[in-house]
Amino acid sequence: MKRIAVTGIGVIAPTGVGRERVWEALVEGRSGISRIDDFDTSNLKTNIAGVCRDFRPEEMFDEREMSRLDRVSQLAIAATEMATREAGLTNGQLDSYDAGVFLGTGFGGQGSIEEFCGAFFSNGKGRRSAIAIPKSMYNASSSNIAIRFKTRGPNITVTTACSSGANAIGQAFHLIQHGHAERMIAGGVDAPITPVVMDAWKEMRVLSTKNEPPERACKPFSANRDGFVLSEGAGIVVLEDLEMAAARGAHIYAEVIGYGSTADASHITFPDPDGESHAMTRAMKDAGVNPNEIDYINAHGTATKLNDASETEAIKRVFGSRAHEIPCSSIKSMLGHSMGAAGAIEFIATVLAIENQVIPPTTNYEEADPQCDLDYVTEGSRRVSSSTPLRTAISNSFGFGGNNAVLVVRAYVQ
Amino acid sequence: MTREAVETIEDSVKSIIVAELRVDRDQLGPTTHLMKDLGADSLDALNIALRLEEQFNIKIPDDAIPRFLTVGDIVHGVNEHLAAAQ
Repeated sequence: MKRIAVTGIGVIAPTGVGRERVWEALVEGRSGISRIDDFDTSNLKTNIAGVCRDFRPEEMFDEREMSRLDRVSQLAIAATEMATREAGLTNGQLDSYDAGVFLGTGFGGQGSIEEFCGAFFSNGKGRRSAIAIPKSMYNASSSNIAIRFKTRGPNITVTTACSSGANAIGQAFHLIQHGHAERMIAGGVDAPITPVVMDAWKEMRVLSTKNEPPERACKPFSANRDGFVLSEGAGIVVLEDLEMAAARGAHIYAEVIGYGSTADASHITFPDPDGESHAMTRAMKDAGVNPNEIDYINAHGTATKLNDASETEAIKRVFGSRAHEIPCSSIKSMLGHSMGAAGAIEFIATVLAIENQVIPPTTNYEEADPQCDLDYVTEGSRRVSSSTPLRTAISNSFGFGGNNAVLVVRAYVQ
Repeated sequence: MTREAVETIEDSVKSIIVAELRVDRDQLGPTTHLMKDLGADSLDALNIALRLEEQFNIKIPDDAIPRFLTVGDIVHGVNEHLAAAQ
């Protein structure tokens, strides 16, 4: 079976733009959550979110391009630019039928959908447009990446809510393994911080209302957690046939070695530890590793009452008594929940944890919950001892709809 | 139609093209072609037709759009539609 390398990373998060900035903030335990100032939040119970304030699309796109690309496509293209540049791919290696794109998104061009719906329902006062559908369709981001970077291989968008980015990376990994492409641009992207989406989440009562101070709102695994914080972002990696990557002298961050995907098939929003634990088991089976080999779990850890208890239970079912010995952290405590991007950004954090031998923390942990009793790395980032190196890790992503995806990452050893 | 009326139409047409394509007004002459000279694509042409319909309260049929591609032709076309509507 082919080995698959991660050779490029592009990430845009509420804490910054680019791998170095985002990783630095994670290690420092810095939050990217702030007050929403782009629209009126007076009717909402939550007025905070993870906005990517350092992302300046106008520096990358001209006015005409901006008018054609929803914010979600802008984020996706900008992150792809970083990932492909870092991977050292030249045009010949991207402009090919052997290079493709596999992207996950939960909300697609939501901002544009709202704009065009607003125009439609405005009794002729709003601005209609021939670009409404090409700008807002869910596959716009992956297609815009292909158009910009000339990748002619498989081009697919997957939408499985909060696990979209993880499913995209897992599917891209299998496509290369099975010879459908030599390299894939893979990851997740979402820009869902809009008045309509914020209002809809409010009605579901799943957002944290701990607005003050914003950076302390999201408290995964803590007994006083009260919901997630919505955010936006993009996480893009270049996955490559490892032999080809090594032959061209590319830097190999880590290897993707396994992917598991399951459906709870029980309730549209209520999580089920059975579906979640099977996703972990299947991912490890796909990787050919046993649970004793897992050194770190990057948790889904949304900070909703239900998710964190269910995920903890699922981890215990898979790892037994050893569950308490495996560090397990949620970076959503700092970045919020960027929906379809989250699984990809968390995969990137897992890769960087292995690369740097540092485990990012779960911040804002305050009160012990008897249902959540694992090692959540709450004391700050943790440097891994060289006697017990961080070699193999999993990244969990569980989406509304009961869509679970787990990725297994391993340190690259020649 | 008076000369002033034609000039006003030309002015409005140019304003629509400038706004839709983000081009400089002084790039626009009577024979300037939206696609060949200004880099527009078919979606731009549709949006310009949409803006013309809104601005002048006319209906541009699908098969007329290929004739709405130079500044001069657009002004001429709008005039024709306005005259037919009267």
